[in-house]
Amino acid sequence: MTTLQPPIFPRMPRGRRDQRRYTERPRSDGLLGRAVLQSFVKLDPRLTVRNPVMFVVWCGTLVTLAATVEPRLFELSPEAPGRGFNALLSLILLATLLFANFAEALAEGRGKAQADALRRTQASTQARRLLPDGSEALVDSSALRRGDQVRVSQGEMIPADGEVVDGVAAVDESAITGESAPVLKEAGSDVASSVTGGTRVVSDMLLIRITADPGKGFIDRMIALVEGAERTKTPNEIALTVLLAVLTQVFLIAVATLPPVAAYINSPTPVVVLVALLVALIPTTIGGLLSAIGIAGMDRVAQFNVIATSGRAVEACGDITTLVLDKTGTITLGNRLAEEFLPVGGHSERELATTAHAASWFDGTPEGKSIVRLAEKLDAVTALQMDTATGLEFSARTRMSAQLLPELLGVQEFSARTRMSGTDLADGNELRKGAVDAIKGFVRSRGGTVPDDLDEAYERVSRLGGTPLAVCWNAEIQGVIYLKDIIKPGMRERFDQLRRMGIRSVMLTGDNAITAGVIAREAGVDDFIAEATPEDKIAVIQAEQRLGRLVAMTGDGTNDAPALAQANVGVAMNSGTQAAKEAANMVDLDSDPTKLIDIVTIGKQLLITRGALTTFSIANDVAKYFAILPALFGQAGLAPLNLMGLASPQSAILSAMVFNALIIPALVPLALKGVAFRPATADELLRRNLLLYGLGGLVVPFIGIKLIDLAVSALRLV
Amino acid sequence: MASTSRLLSRPLFWLPLVLALGTALTAPLFGSSPSPVQTTALALLLTGIVVLSGYLFVVIFQPERF
Repeated sequence: MTTLQPPIFPRMPRGRRDQRRYTERPRSDGLLGRAVLQSFVKLDPRLTVRNPVMFVVWCGTLVTLAATVEPRLFELSPEAPGRGFNALLSLILLATLLFANFAEALAEGRGKAQADALRRTQASTQARRLLPDGSEALVDSSALRRGDQVRVSQGEMIPADGEVVDGVAAVDESAITGESAPVLKEAGSDVASSVTGGTRVVSDMLLIRITADPGKGFIDRMIALVEGAERTKTPNEIALTVLLAVLTQVFLIAVATLPPVAAYINSPTPVVVLVALLVALIPTTIGGLLSAIGIAGMDRVAQFNVIATSGRAVEACGDITTLVLDKTGTITLGNRLAEEFLPVGGHSERELATTAHAASWFDGTPEGKSIVRLAEKLDAVTALQMDTATGLEFSARTRMSAQLLPELLGVQEFSARTRMSGTDLADGNELRKGAVDAIKGFVRSRGGTVPDDLDEAYERVSRLGGTPLAVCWNAEIQGVIYLKDIIKPGMRERFDQLRRMGIRSVMLTGDNAITAGVIAREAGVDDFIAEATPEDKIAVIQAEQRLGRLVAMTGDGTNDAPALAQANVGVAMNSGTQAAKEAANMVDLDSDPTKLIDIVTIGKQLLITRGALTTFSIANDVAKYFAILPALFGQAGLAPLNLMGLASPQSAILSAMVFNALIIPALVPLALKGVAFRPATADELLRRNLLLYGLGGLVVPFIGIKLIDLAVSALRLV
Repeated sequence: MASTSRLLSRPLFWLPLVLALGTALTAPLFGSSPSPVQTTALALLLTGIVVLSGYLFVVIFQPERF
């Protein structure tokens, strides 16, 4: 029999860290040891004062320590607890502080390990700086300044962030992305001209203009962020800090005013017991784990190979209500495949396939290759003389590995301006394929006419959700190629999950409205913008924000930078331009736009974790009331409240305090990993968390305190 | 002038002063204690609670500083 597993988000980072797909993982040797050491360092009151709840515990520890040295220091009653009890209480309070510090230090240590991994890519290197007279001087990379030009050849490390001003080369960026396949960098390209210091040129040579001064580069900023050097509290953290401070203030005043009341009912309360009561009542669990949860959220994003510029950005992900996504590469696979040839104007399928084959022979794109494959499957190969071909090796400049034919005059590569590509033959014939409008224009410019059935074929392909490519031989349109867009597996389920989480998805595509509508329906996105330009992105984001929604988007080009800055969460691709990376508040080192969905999920998980632990922390106060209040005021008639049947007043106080301390390290793994997350509406999540962490927070301490009390009694500690 | 305001903004400078002053002012409240040490300790404890409460008010109204 198989057990049905509850659905979990398919791309949440999970499983053993060393089994994830990234190659370079931060080393965590000695992490625990360093965290333990830091736990003691963080006892410094100048550091503790930043956490109001734990600072009150720190002050309470000081009082109990003083009472340990001189038990009669604060006590007027002869029945005050002895030195042994005070010492035990001091130790437990000290442990509470150390456990809270340990949680924070552990989370920080993981960030530092990530920073160390990045720092290893920053080895100082020699650079060949270009001098005004054209000669080169060998300088240390730390001497380079913004605006300097350096030449980097095959095998050399790029000394600093910059932009390619001349040359084409393959660059190994595995040091920062973990991806071993080199990427092409060239001058004049919006996206491919940006290079990162610490990466290595593996072919050809580049002339690079430096864009960042030493210490201000991309990796430097990433290091500062993951180390927490620039960590500031997020709005939600600030709101929670205020709530915790208010609760602490209320309990401080309540406990401080108890002695006169206790004296009035003839039930004097020792100061150390009042300290224990105060520490039990204030929300120490969430107070001790709050900063660890925030740091761990940053770390979880970093583990996913995404660098966030601030915790605020990660947290904003949790509040996102609209996702703006590009179709190609995000919703559909980047590579469209030729599915069918649709002849028009009386031409045969074979005729069209032969022309498409010849027009695509030198097309190195996946689409072009798929057209060649489909034509070959139909046995409609070009009539060009293949046996007279001569070999042409791969070159980064031409980006082709192909065969040269003597009758070939030229290759027309696809351009966004002409929106077509093709082949010019030596005998003057021109073969073209491209956007239907573009081919219509080409044919008309050569005196040709457009066949009546072309629009019908175009619409047929569009209705199927495909991209229609028209094919012509000189001024004669022969038909349309149906390029099938393949929606990434599982996208519909993921958009369904996002919808359940209350997130609306908007698809942007350059396709016509019919194609866009079909893809949107198939993928399950909520809305789409057809024939969109990059400039439309900012308009969509502004429109959504006017409706009070928080928007996330991805981008990589310079023209995406305004929209990335406008979006509440902008994720730039690492392969993108410097402008895009500067404008965004996150950078995806893998340059995978689909990851935006995962990042939003991590943000949600961060908020849910914080909410769940806050609920647990406040709920577990109830059991502590039932432990300490009967111990304090048993003589005044509150003894029946000892529901747990705790052995003695002193044992009850110690048990509640031990539980209060131990629950912090027990919840550290949950704070660092985040609570299990399943896509659901806010109401469902609230119900689930109240049930699990609210009810758990009520029940677990009753059991825990009773067990500790049994142990305390058995060990005769009091 | 600037150095004086910098000094005043440092808790390590004014906190002992506030505690000493508060202890001196509240000590008469605990005059019935068996020893002067206990009188001082209880006065210091009361002053400490008031200062701690003041600190919590600062956190509530200026949380971004923490």
